[in-house]
Amino acid sequence: MSLKLFEGFRFTGKRTPIHRMDPRPKLLIASSIFLLSILFTNIIVLLILLIAQLPLIYLAKSLRRWSNSLRGGAVLATLIFIMNFLTGSTLVFSLSMTLRFLVLISAFSLFFLTTSPDDLGLVLERLHLPYTLSFTFTTAVRLVPTVALEAQTIVDAQRSRGLELDRGNIIERLRRHIPILIPLIVSAIRRSTELAEALESRAFGSCENRESLITLSMKWTDYFVAIATIIILLVGIFVRLWIPLPSLDESIRLPSIWV
Amino acid sequence: MIVIKAQDLTFTYSGSKKPAIENLNLEVKEGEFIVITGPSGCGKTTFARCLNALIPSFYRGEMKGFILVLGMDISKSTTSQLSKYVGFVFQNPENQLFSLSVERDVAFGPENLGLPREEVRRRVEWAMKVTGITHLRHAAPYELSGGQQQRVAIASILAMKPKIIVLDEPTSFLDPLSAHQIIETVSNLRSEMEITIILIEHRLDLASRYADRVIIMDRGRIILEGPPSKVYGEDAEAIGVGIPKISLLFNLLKREGYDLGCTPVTLEEATQAIRRRIMDDRS
Ligand SMILES: Nc1ncnc2c1ncn2[C@@H]1O[C@H](COP(=O)(O)OP(=O)(O)OP(=O)(O)O)[C@@H](O)[C@H]1O
Ligand SMILES: [Mg+2]
Repeated sequence: MSLKLFEGFRFTGKRTPIHRMDPRPKLLIASSIFLLSILFTNIIVLLILLIAQLPLIYLAKSLRRWSNSLRGGAVLATLIFIMNFLTGSTLVFSLSMTLRFLVLISAFSLFFLTTSPDDLGLVLERLHLPYTLSFTFTTAVRLVPTVALEAQTIVDAQRSRGLELDRGNIIERLRRHIPILIPLIVSAIRRSTELAEALESRAFGSCENRESLITLSMKWTDYFVAIATIIILLVGIFVRLWIPLPSLDESIRLPSIWV
Repeated sequence: MIVIKAQDLTFTYSGSKKPAIENLNLEVKEGEFIVITGPSGCGKTTFARCLNALIPSFYRGEMKGFILVLGMDISKSTTSQLSKYVGFVFQNPENQLFSLSVERDVAFGPENLGLPREEVRRRVEWAMKVTGITHLRHAAPYELSGGQQQRVAIASILAMKPKIIVLDEPTSFLDPLSAHQIIETVSNLRSEMEITIILIEHRLDLASRYADRVIIMDRGRIILEGPPSKVYGEDAEAIGVGIPKISLLFNLLKREGYDLGCTPVTLEEATQAIRRRIMDDRS
């Protein structure tokens, strides 16, 4: 399951209009969806926010990976629903909270699926973050799937030697994970040493003002998307502040069913 | 001109008692192609790390004797400073590529040197052409085969225009065909630029053909050294070095009493030697 979740956030170098888009408008879209989903608790708005992403994901040819990331988040989503419902929230409100979580996953999945960590690094550089910092960040993003894959290999290897991971109580299970953890840590240390060696050998950090070969540039379509996103965001804020939306809330609560 | 000069070089990693390399003496001339080989753990990588100052600035330990690389004392330099002059290609291609496109990865080194954008662009195009990866420009390194990845690693180093390139078992993760292509690529470098090549390699069948000199190490010391045809005798066999099959064959024949008067490294040399012998016998 955990691996599926990572798959849903891993960049794949496809050639689609969404992949080619400048990372800044994409970041703007993701953050706007984030903001709107926080502003509204109305289930219809949240549903619209989720559905509105579908055409973009379709354009990016990433439907399968996107659905993987949603499925990866399903356990947590269910948990959110149950917690809300059990603590006395209405059915619709609990559903909204679950939906909000899915909207967030979906928005960031869309961003990370279609934005190369390299481009993300360029954005961070534009924001005048020190290069070492943005490099560290992008490398971490890049390595997540590699390490996840490695973890899977270790799990398989230990299983084939007869390690049973899902037996016994919680403590017992944790103890059974130690043979997974140790090789994983050892290999992570080895990997980081090798990376550091290679970085040193490529003159990393030896010059203050480096110039990137590739630079970000906004095309008119990027400007168009950015402006459209800002308008939608402003409309959303306006509606939230001044226009009351019809509520679907039927006040179905757990206690009312029990009583 | 001497580009590398090691004298009584001894290095012991901190925490271990036995030196990893001991009393190494070596001189390398500009433009030489040197192959270093020897059984596992004999100190090849340790010596290579001395060439770009990973030892002693990255790996701690005790160093005796000295080594000068292009006249610079490595105990007073850092790897970053040396990276302009000494390029290092590592064994595992996966952990030496940093970007998600080949082009950006090749540009990474020159960018770090602070070169202007046009110069970076020129060097990237040149390095991709020399290593034959121009068509992979937009590919992500993790999508490539091991051989292609190693080629990208070599291009990334070339783009920094080093005077010396050190390759530490660049083919050990590769299949025989890719390994062959990598060694061909490396040997072609000499026609493209003024460069000294230090290749650490177990597959001597492939590498020997191009080497000016082979250095065989064992337990931290240099045991044999010289042109391939001189070092692939019985001593090399005894150490457990995988000398080329054809050299091995001639050594066997010699032991059986058929001394053909030389130790060939390539099939061509062997054919010539045999032909010579047949001619001699006839006349
Ligand atoms: N980082 C280190 N710390 C401590 N000891 C080390 C370290 N790296 C290597 N050694 C030791 O130094 C000796 C020489 O190792 P080195 O890696 O140089 O051998 P090698 O000839 O490159 O072997 P291989 O063919 O396996 O790559 C070995 O005994 C090894 O255990
Ligand atoms: Mg080694």
